[in-house]
Amino acid sequence: MQVKTLRKWNNALHRDIGYLCVGMTLIYAISGIVLNHFKSGDFIHPDYSKSYNEFKVPPPPNGKADQAYVMSIIEKEGEKNNYKSFITGENYVQIFLKNGSIYVDLASGEAQVEKKNTRYVIKEFNLLHYNNIKRFYTWFSDLYAIGLIILAITGLFVLRGKNGIIGRGAWLTAIGIILPALFLMFYM
Amino acid sequence: MIRKIFCIFFVPAFILSACNNGTKNNGAKTTADTVKVTVLTFEKQADSLVNKPVFIEGTVLHICKHGGERLFLADGNDSVTVEVTAGPKMTRFEESLIGSKIRITGMLKEERIDTKYLNEWEAEVKKPQENQNVGIHTGTKGHEDEGVNEKLEQIAALRDELKKSGKDHLSNFSIEASKFVEIK
Repeated sequence: MQVKTLRKWNNALHRDIGYLCVGMTLIYAISGIVLNHFKSGDFIHPDYSKSYNEFKVPPPPNGKADQAYVMSIIEKEGEKNNYKSFITGENYVQIFLKNGSIYVDLASGEAQVEKKNTRYVIKEFNLLHYNNIKRFYTWFSDLYAIGLIILAITGLFVLRGKNGIIGRGAWLTAIGIILPALFLMFYM
Repeated sequence: MIRKIFCIFFVPAFILSACNNGTKNNGAKTTADTVKVTVLTFEKQADSLVNKPVFIEGTVLHICKHGGERLFLADGNDSVTVEVTAGPKMTRFEESLIGSKIRITGMLKEERIDTKYLNEWEAEVKKPQENQNVGIHTGTKGHEDEGVNEKLEQIAALRDELKKSGKDHLSNFSIEASKFVEIK
């Protein structure tokens, strides 16, 4: 096969797989930024933003939290319709709400309410990125990864001449390989 | 034309997926040989039920935020918890399950913690933070944000426990879930 024909097929493959991969690439890239910053400690949770508010409640008379005490707190906070359940621990009670929880220190009466706000769309992107769906999605995401490999390789040969792989492209490709290698060398 | 394609395929797909808050019911049928275990008696029952099908009910105390692959069940208070991991055919545990009472069906698993395990864990903990993958999840508040010192203290405590037990290993029992259902 002639070089010209090969390049024609290479470019067609690069173009069509490129189109097919746009959706998944955007999903993985957007979710990747979120997960990167979650791993770096910038987010408390990748799927939710959380807000906190502190307040004080009277500690229970006998130092123990029961259903009546818990109900008095959630009624005071106007969370009766959001109530789910509660768990007690050493000197504390944690009251679970539909969109968060209330933590009460039974000795001091200091309380903290945590409210969760779902990052819709990002949450679904993260679900795909983590492959929490498993089953057939594993095969689908494998196919996408193979598509990316083909895109990377065919991408090297799209252009000819000074901007191609034997010119400027070689330098840029080398930089793209050396940079992650340097990170590995310094942090391993 | 392009606008039409975008509107027909992408917008409804993302809106539908964003509105779907996850599968809350992964089925709840149990077979006759599935043994009931409880949160409070789990440790005593676990030894004889390793690799056997079990079901358990409890309140979800914590879900690990790294992908929702693990949760901890409690019963009334946090003094005893049971670790549950999502099986290979299950989607993750949704954070919205925290505080809900659920019934889990799955296989009881044992992880053996011996000196070799603790040595490897200690070596891993001493590496830069991004390389720390091994170790036991305790489910306690903030355990996922523990620093190196806290983890080393946990390893030292396990070494003491192992020494006192007189055995060559400690057992960390958990349930690998195949399905769950929320109990109202």
